[in-house]
Amino acid sequence: MLEETLKRIQAHKGVVGTIVVNAEGIPIRTTLDNSTTVQYAGLLHQLTMKARSTVRDIDPQNDLTFLRIRSKKHEIMVAPDKEYLLIVIQNPCE
Amino acid sequence: MPPPRQRWRLRWRPGARGLAVPLPEAKLPPARRGAPAPFTNMAPAQKSCQTGKISTAEVAVQSHTSQDAGVQTDQSKDAARDFQQEVQVDYTRLLSFLQRVEDVVIKELNKNWKSHAFDGFEVNWTDQNETVSCLHTLSYPDAQDQNLQVTSVSWNATGSVVACSYGRLDDGDWGTEKSYVCTWNLDRRGLNPQRPDLVVDVPSSVMCLAFHPSQPSLIVGGLFSGEVVVWDTSRIEDPLILRTGMTDDTHTDPVYQVNWLPDAKHGNHFQLLSASTDGKILVWREERDGRLALAEGFALVAQQIPRSIQLKKLAWGEAAVGVTSLSFSHFDPRVFVVGVEGGYSLKCSTAAQTEALHRTGTSVPLRAPAELAFTPHGGPVYSVSCSPFHRNLFLSCGTDGHVHLHSMLQAQPLISLQLSKKYLFCVRWSPVRPLVFAAASGEGDVQLFDFEKSSQKPAVSIKQTTAESPVYCLEFNVKQTQLLAAGDATGTVKVWQLSSDFTEQGPREMNHLEQLASEVTD
Repeated sequence: MLEETLKRIQAHKGVVGTIVVNAEGIPIRTTLDNSTTVQYAGLLHQLTMKARSTVRDIDPQNDLTFLRIRSKKHEIMVAPDKEYLLIVIQNPCE
Repeated sequence: MPPPRQRWRLRWRPGARGLAVPLPEAKLPPARRGAPAPFTNMAPAQKSCQTGKISTAEVAVQSHTSQDAGVQTDQSKDAARDFQQEVQVDYTRLLSFLQRVEDVVIKELNKNWKSHAFDGFEVNWTDQNETVSCLHTLSYPDAQDQNLQVTSVSWNATGSVVACSYGRLDDGDWGTEKSYVCTWNLDRRGLNPQRPDLVVDVPSSVMCLAFHPSQPSLIVGGLFSGEVVVWDTSRIEDPLILRTGMTDDTHTDPVYQVNWLPDAKHGNHFQLLSASTDGKILVWREERDGRLALAEGFALVAQQIPRSIQLKKLAWGEAAVGVTSLSFSHFDPRVFVVGVEGGYSLKCSTAAQTEALHRTGTSVPLRAPAELAFTPHGGPVYSVSCSPFHRNLFLSCGTDGHVHLHSMLQAQPLISLQLSKKYLFCVRWSPVRPLVFAAASGEGDVQLFDFEKSSQKPAVSIKQTTAESPVYCLEFNVKQTQLLAAGDATGTVKVWQLSSDFTEQGPREMNHLEQLASEVTD
C-alpha cells in the first residue's frame, strides 16, 4: 500500500523525484540517489520549519499547509505534517 | 535570599617569582538584583599574601631522534551513507500520512502541469552584463622580445590564477629555444599585467600546461623534447618538483596534451597523463626521488584503428598515429577522445586490454585503446573537447577551419560548422551553458557559439589580435564563470569578461541539448 501510493505520485507527469522525510529530517523513502536525497531532505526540512514559524508568527491561529518553491529548472512541493514531510520535485511543462 | 557568595579573584603579585596566587577580596555588601550598588560609606579593606621564597631549577630536554608519522583516513566513498542511521519507522502512521497528503499533492502536480502562470517569467538575480569586454591584457615582455608565442593557458583550482606557457607552435624542426611559464594572480591588488607573479625558466619549449584540479599550486607541463615536468608554484627557490627525464619511456615527440588523472585506487592521489605525436599516451606516477615513472600506457598504431571509415592509404605508411589532443569524458572516467594528425577523432577507453603492436620497447607494455573512429576533418585535428553536460557529445576542430559536433554513438558528425578560413586551434565547451562553446581561430578571433541563438554562425566574435595573428589556446574559468582566457601568437594572454547571457543557464537548455544529441541517424 505504501509503495503503491509513492509509485502513483512518482509516476505523475513530470515528477523527477519523491522523498519522504521524518520529523528529524532523515529521509525514509526516496526515488533519488543517496547524496541528492540527503541534500534535499536536510535543506527542505529546515526551510519548511522556517516557513511554518513565519506563518505562525504572523498569525498564531494560522498554520502551514503546503510549500511550493519555483525555480528556473523545477518546482519543489512540500506537504508538511507533524511527523513526516513529503517532498516532490516536478519538471513543469512550459 | 541566598547567602552572599565569597568572591575570589586571581591577582598578579610581582615579587613572588611571577606566580599568580588567588587572593580573597574583601566582602562587599551584595547588590540587589536589578538595582545599582548602594552608595554607602564603606571602607573596603585590601589584603594580600605572599608565599615564602620558592626555589626553582632549570632543566633542558631535547629529543635525540625523532620520527615523522602521519595518519589520514581514506576519503569515504559514499559520504552520505556514513551519516544515515537506522531509523525506526512506524508504517501505519506513515501510511496514514501518505493517504492524507496524496490527494493534495496530486492536485497540485496536476495544476502545475497545466499552469501557464510562469510562462516567460524570468528573474534577474545578478547585475546583467550586456557586453563582452577585455579585463586584462597580460604579457611577459622578455618572452615577447624573443618572439615567443603563448602555447597554452590554464586556470588554477581556485580560479584566481592564470598560467601561460611560452614557446613556439610554428617551429617545424627541433627547437632548442628556452621558454617560460608565467603565472598571474588576478585577484591580487596591484596586479601588474607586464610582470607575472612567477616566471619559470624552462630549457625547452613548453607545449601544454595543466593546473592540478584541487591543489592550487601544482602545474604540469609537456615539453617539446617529450618530457613531462611538474612545478610547484608555492616553492620560490626551485619550483620544479617532478620530471620524467629522458629515459626509454619518455615520448620521442613533443607532448601536446597533459592531464591530471584521479588515481582509481587511492582517491586523493593523482597520476599524470601525456599524449604526443609519437602515438603514445602515457600515464605517469610519482616516485620518491622526484622522478615520474611510467605506470601504464597506450599506443595508437594505424593497423589497430577500427576500420569503420575509409582511411587514406597514406595513413598506413607511418605506423604510429600522432596524437595532437585529448579530452576525457566527464561522465565515464575511463572514456576519452583523442584527435590525431590524420584528421580524425577516436573514441578510446582506458579499460582496453589488447596489446599495442608497438615497435620500441617500454618498461610497461602498452595497450591499444581505440574503439571507434569518427569521420575525418580535412586536415589534422588540433583540439577535442567532451561536453560537461552530455555523455555522448564532443567537439573537434582542425586545420580545415571546421568544428564538428559528434555523438559518440555514430561516426558521422551531427553538425559541421565552418568558423574560419584559416586554422582553428582550440575548441572548448562552456562549463555553465550546455549549448555554448568557444573556438580560437587563425585569424585572431575568439568565436563564441551558442546553439540556442543560431546553429549557423557565432553569437559573438571577439577580435583578440590585429594583423591576423592566430589565437592558439583558450580556457574557460570554472570558478568564475564569466572569465575566458585566450593566448595568442603575439605573446599576450587576454582575459575576457563575458556577458551575462553566456554565464546563466536557460530553463530549457538541457532539453535542447538532448534533442541535438539524439539526432543520430541509424
